[in-house]
Amino acid sequence: MMTAQRWRHSARPTAYGVIGVLGLLLVWQWLAVGPLSGTSLPTVAEAIGALVQMLGEGGFWEDTSVTAGTALIGLAASIVVGVVLGILIGTSQLLRFATSAVLEFLKPIPPIVILPIVVLVLGPTTEMTIVLVIIGCAIPILIQTVAGVFDVDPVRTDTARSYGMGRAEILGRVVLPGASPFIATAIRVSAPAALVVTVVAGLLGGGPGLGQSLYQAQTAGDSARMYALIIVLGVLGMVFQAASQLVEAKALHWHESKREVQA
Amino acid sequence: MQHDVLPIPSAPSIAGDRLNPHTGMTMAQTTPPARLAVDKLSKSYGSGAQAKEIIGDLSFEVAAGEVVCIVGPSGVGKTTLLKCITGLQPLTSGEARIDGQLIDGPPEQMALVFQDYHRSLMPWLTVRKNIRLPLRHLHLDRSEENQRIDEAIEAVGLSHATDLYPWQLSGGMQQRVAIARGLAYRPEILIMDEPFASVDAQTRFELEDLCLRIREQFGMTILVVTHDIDEAVYLSDRVVVLGSKPAHVVEIVTVNLPRERDQITTRATKAFVDERTRVLSLIKDPHRQEMADA
Amino acid sequence: MTTTADITATPVATPRRPRRRSRRIPSWVKWALAVGTPTLLLAAWWTASADSSNTFFPSLEQILTRFQQLWLFDHFLTDVVPSLANLAGGFALAAIVGVGLGFVLALIRPVRWLLEPIIHFVRSIPPVALVPIFITMIGFGNDMRITSIALAATFPTLIATMDGIRSVDGTLKDVSVVYRLTRAEKFTQVYLPAAAPQIFAGLQVSLQVAFIVMIASEMLGAATGIGALTLTAQQSFMIADMWAGVLLLGVLGFVINKIFDLVKARILAWYFGAKEAQRAT
Repeated sequence: MMTAQRWRHSARPTAYGVIGVLGLLLVWQWLAVGPLSGTSLPTVAEAIGALVQMLGEGGFWEDTSVTAGTALIGLAASIVVGVVLGILIGTSQLLRFATSAVLEFLKPIPPIVILPIVVLVLGPTTEMTIVLVIIGCAIPILIQTVAGVFDVDPVRTDTARSYGMGRAEILGRVVLPGASPFIATAIRVSAPAALVVTVVAGLLGGGPGLGQSLYQAQTAGDSARMYALIIVLGVLGMVFQAASQLVEAKALHWHESKREVQA
Repeated sequence: MQHDVLPIPSAPSIAGDRLNPHTGMTMAQTTPPARLAVDKLSKSYGSGAQAKEIIGDLSFEVAAGEVVCIVGPSGVGKTTLLKCITGLQPLTSGEARIDGQLIDGPPEQMALVFQDYHRSLMPWLTVRKNIRLPLRHLHLDRSEENQRIDEAIEAVGLSHATDLYPWQLSGGMQQRVAIARGLAYRPEILIMDEPFASVDAQTRFELEDLCLRIREQFGMTILVVTHDIDEAVYLSDRVVVLGSKPAHVVEIVTVNLPRERDQITTRATKAFVDERTRVLSLIKDPHRQEMADA
Repeated sequence: MTTTADITATPVATPRRPRRRSRRIPSWVKWALAVGTPTLLLAAWWTASADSSNTFFPSLEQILTRFQQLWLFDHFLTDVVPSLANLAGGFALAAIVGVGLGFVLALIRPVRWLLEPIIHFVRSIPPVALVPIFITMIGFGNDMRITSIALAATFPTLIATMDGIRSVDGTLKDVSVVYRLTRAEKFTQVYLPAAAPQIFAGLQVSLQVAFIVMIASEMLGAATGIGALTLTAQQSFMIADMWAGVLLLGVLGFVINKIFDLVKARILAWYFGAKEAQRAT
């Protein structure tokens, strides 16, 4: 009986959600055949048809893996750059003060601003995309790492020093674990951002991948394919989001902020 | 205009007698009418075989101008009881009435002071604005509104802090603000849920005396839930002792102490110690008492 | 009346927790470093690029000259102002819809269940990817730009508002019920301020998204706007013009965010104050 009740509890939102999605599709279809017929809006069947057709193309899968792969490579490079520089800056007061104004200025500037320059120098290539992702993601990771290192309890580092640990050991055993929640959060936020930058680089800079496909569909006037690509990008975005949340939760299961949530 | 104007006596206006709103009959001075009447109140969560009874068949009354404390072991369901009385939660059966009216939502004659002062005050409003918030929909004119606020602030001794934010105040001061908010609302009955549980002992004494002073100054009826037996005896005219599983009334103890109380002298009297012992033994071993009654 | 009351009647001071180790650096050194480094970097850029023959990296002097010529006179009214107006309009729409819809979704469960999956899907789409759809539907004009900005920027605020309203403290809700606040009072005096810290966090992300989409909507084939001019300059090899555009966009991104920070600090002064006080104890 209890399980039946629980089932009903969790099933209701799901049922509503399904109705919501079906309703959206219905409105879309109605708009496409009714008030907006003759515009670029494809019918649901057309969009799904284009999607199914696309799923059968080798080129589409290549584009998808290029997009996901480029975003991941860019993210990995950003993590390395951000964490290394962040620890360097975070452990030195002088460096922190010296960089604060520069970082403060760069932080709110999105990578799309710098896109024309990067495209100019590197051309419409995967390297260009990766550089753009690094510009977009390394700075937030760096800033969070600095904050995390700064946040490590001085008592802990002093304790470590009193036990005769060397600099490297303190860094690896005390500072890095202490700062890891900050770093993990930054990475969780940066993973979907890396995907966004990759798509932007393709769409506006011509870098290979789904962004470029979208641009081609737009210029070719193939609106059904455009919608299909948008759906794919949405799914990819959700995968990136879910994966990064999962990784953060797994990586930080020992941390008290996570333990509290469970209690 | 030269005629002598005789004051028209309002129906049965014999001094001291009040109209019992329950029956419409006048009552003798010795048994004042119940301001708050709780009758066979039960509360369960869940339904069917899963139902868990929290409060079972609980009855008591609070007369106008009385200070009544509800005490009981922790986890007995005192907060649930208060939520039922204040109309925040529906009853499973039985009823609660204020001035004879059935309570089915928060009544306007009632104000509640919460235990968590730091969560019950709006941190984005100053002390004065916190106190004003519940008055706005009463549409008082400006001068009366200000007068009520000033009076309440004065009564709790916070005149110097009106423009500060709650988080700039100590815990005891925050609870004063919460009390002042209740006072300015001018309820007939002020209900407090463990109001002094999280302040230090010194502040606690001050707030207890504040509570008694309010009763005199505003003629307010006060119902306090507490787990502190000393506090209950010190504050109350009567103490409602609850037993657990489900919450029920073990006994209602009338406190035989003079109305004027003093933290030092009252607490030192034998009468106080006796009352305290009585209540404590009722809480520690309710069954013996119940068996003796039977 | 207030004989005993005055004892505790001193506001709690908020002493700052002394942070960090004893090795203190005098504050003038901090300032010198904070101001000096950027100045030094600019100076380095200036001298290193002074007689640059590299086509990609013109001299800073040249860039600044073009910056002044382009943005301060020629294109200020025709491009800078419309870009910013689109940004403001789109962001304002997003803020209103995001907060409003967030309220509705947080308070009315069936509506939330109905729309939540759709919202989570749409917000996962890279915001810039929506621009081509609006271009094919509405064209390249300002309508398209404002629509794109508004739609993309709605979601961060919407989700933050929803979370903020849903996590309003139960005691505050009880207070507003016990004191019989009217529905309007509950919304404007309790729920909205209580959720404000989260709403503002969402608005800040929305503003950044709006800025990105503003640029993207101009870069994708439009003829006017800062983004369009910058990309056109790049494509027609007017490199100094492109640099000037990048510079303007960077400065705008910084300034817009700073303005938002100032507004936020003002409106949420109570929140930051309370947090500071809590940290002190």
